[in-house]
Parts: sequence; C-alpha cells; structure tokens
Amino acid sequence: MATITVLGDEVTTASGEWAGGRPLIEPDHLPAAIGWTLKPEGLCRGDQCVLVGDGSALRVKDKLDLAAVVGALDCPALVDADAGVVVMGQPNAARRTAVRERLAPDFTLADLDGVSRSLSDFAGKKRLLVAFSSW
Amino acid sequence: MHEELAEDGFTVIAVAIDEAVESVRALAENTTYPVLMDPDHILTELYAISNVPSVVWIDGQGRIARPNANEFGSDMFSEYTGRTREGHFDQVRAWVRHGVVPDDADSEVADLDDDELAARLHFRLAAHLRRIGDEDGAAAHFDAAARLAPLDFTVVRAAMPLRGGDPFGEEFFALLAQYQAAGSPFHGINPLRRAG
Repeated sequence: MATITVLGDEVTTASGEWAGGRPLIEPDHLPAAIGWTLKPEGLCRGDQCVLVGDGSALRVKDKLDLAAVVGALDCPALVDADAGVVVMGQPNAARRTAVRERLAPDFTLADLDGVSRSLSDFAGKKRLLVAFSSW
Repeated sequence: MHEELAEDGFTVIAVAIDEAVESVRALAENTTYPVLMDPDHILTELYAISNVPSVVWIDGQGRIARPNANEFGSDMFSEYTGRTREGHFDQVRAWVRHGVVPDDADSEVADLDDDELAARLHFRLAAHLRRIGDEDGAAAHFDAAARLAPLDFTVVRAAMPLRGGDPFGEEFFALLAQYQAAGSPFHGINPLRRAG
C-alpha cells in the first residue's frame, strides 16, 4: 500500500497503490479523497451527479483509478507517481462559464486572518475582483 | 475607491496570487476590503488569469460586467500603458453609480489552452513539493510549468521567489523582454497592447 496525496480543493491523503503509474484507491476511500462518491447513478457530491456509464472506465479490477475519476469530473489532472501525488484542477466547466457565458465562478479562499471568504458572500454588491501579488 | 463607493453597494475583493502572507500583509496595510490568499493559484484557473494585476468587474447577480483587464493601482506604468489609475477608477465609478460600462467591456477573454492548464497544475504541484521540503521535485515541476507556459507571469514570475530568485531582478527583465517581443500576450484587456 502507498499513500496518495490529492491536491484538490483541499489537500487530502488516501491509502492506495500505484499500478503502472496509475493511482488506484478503494471506492470507499473516494469521498474522503476528493469529496465525490461513486454510485450506480454516477459520481455524486451532494445532490449533484455526473454520469459515468457503468463506471468500468474508472475501474482497475476492484479499485478506482483516481486520475480517471478526476477526468470523468471534467477537471484537469496531473499525476506524479514518484511524488505520490494527484493534482485535481478546477472544473473546466467553471472556467468556460466565465470566458464564454460571463458568469463569475464562485471560489472560497482564506483571508489574511485565515477566515474563509467566498465571492458569493458579497452577492448583491458590485464587486471589483483584483488579482494581485507581491512578486 | 472602496470606501468612496461602499455606500453605493460596492466592494473590492483582492486576491493575492501568492503564498507569501507577510509580504501580502505589508501590501494590504490599511485596506478595509477583504484580502484573500490564493497560494495554489485557483483564481488563475477559474478566470483564465495570466498576469497581475488583473481586475474583473462582477455585478450583484454574479455576471461579469467587464472581464479580466490589466489595470494598475498606481501610475507607475502609465507612461507605457497610456492608462492612469484614475482613468480606471472613473470607469468603475460610472459603472457602480450609473451602470455604465466602457466600450471594451464586451471584449473576449481567450480560454486557457491545454498547455496553460497543465502549467498551472505543475506549478501547484511544485509549490506543494517545495512546502514539504522536496526541492528537487519542486524544481522539476516549476521547470515543466515554465516550458508549457513560458510567458505566463502567474506561472514563471510567481515561481521566481519560490526558487530563490528575484522577481524584480535580471531574470524578470529577461522574461519581460521575451513577453514584449511576443506582443505582450494577456488573457483579457491589456492596456500595454492597447497603447501599442
């Protein structure tokens, strides 16, 4: 067994194994790893489900290929087996909504005091979102 | 501007594409609006942001009233951009108070391509590996990110301080020269190009 680190909305770890460079975990460990559950109706989180057929494309024997699951959720994925890490990017649909339909994707980040704040906390106000940096 | 327009149902939300909390805190001194930290560059994925500063105007219903634009909070670069801080602020005031948006508000923002997306994931992995002390792994992924998106400041310049470099030094000026030679590519409205 190996520890697989997932860099998603949070950093999580799951016990699993690497097989031919593919990160495999028990289906039971999926919710803790990425917040989604594989159900007969698809990959689900809360009341949202993504259809994945019979899910066979995600499986290697009785395990789930985590990178395939991330891909099925239409999120970009990067795998580094040496580092034991799977990176799960933001959903492609959210970005496309921004550039094509001009709807602002919500996000949640910590402020300088470590308090989580979301764009949607300020709904109803006109917002000037400023991306800046110290570099 | 945040204080001036607060009564009009307006707020600034500043997001630092950065992990240097103390440096950001110093920049954000005396601000009364939220300042958020984005060490994993989530915002650059969600909004296809490729350089800072990038500002996005978002209305009360969550629609983008004016997309990514390279607008500065100071006049340090006005000579190059032909654009002043006050010029942008006047447009924001007109939008907040009268709902008027400038002609460039319907500009399109190019989506990130596969390389630019992959570069963001490599950057994020590099930053993670650096935080856990794997300098070699970090270097390999910072390099991979820079190969995929060599003119993206949120990828290449943001990595400079994390790699022990100087984001205001020689390597920055080399990047800037390459960037300008390539026509200052920017995801959104770029005054540098507008002026050119």
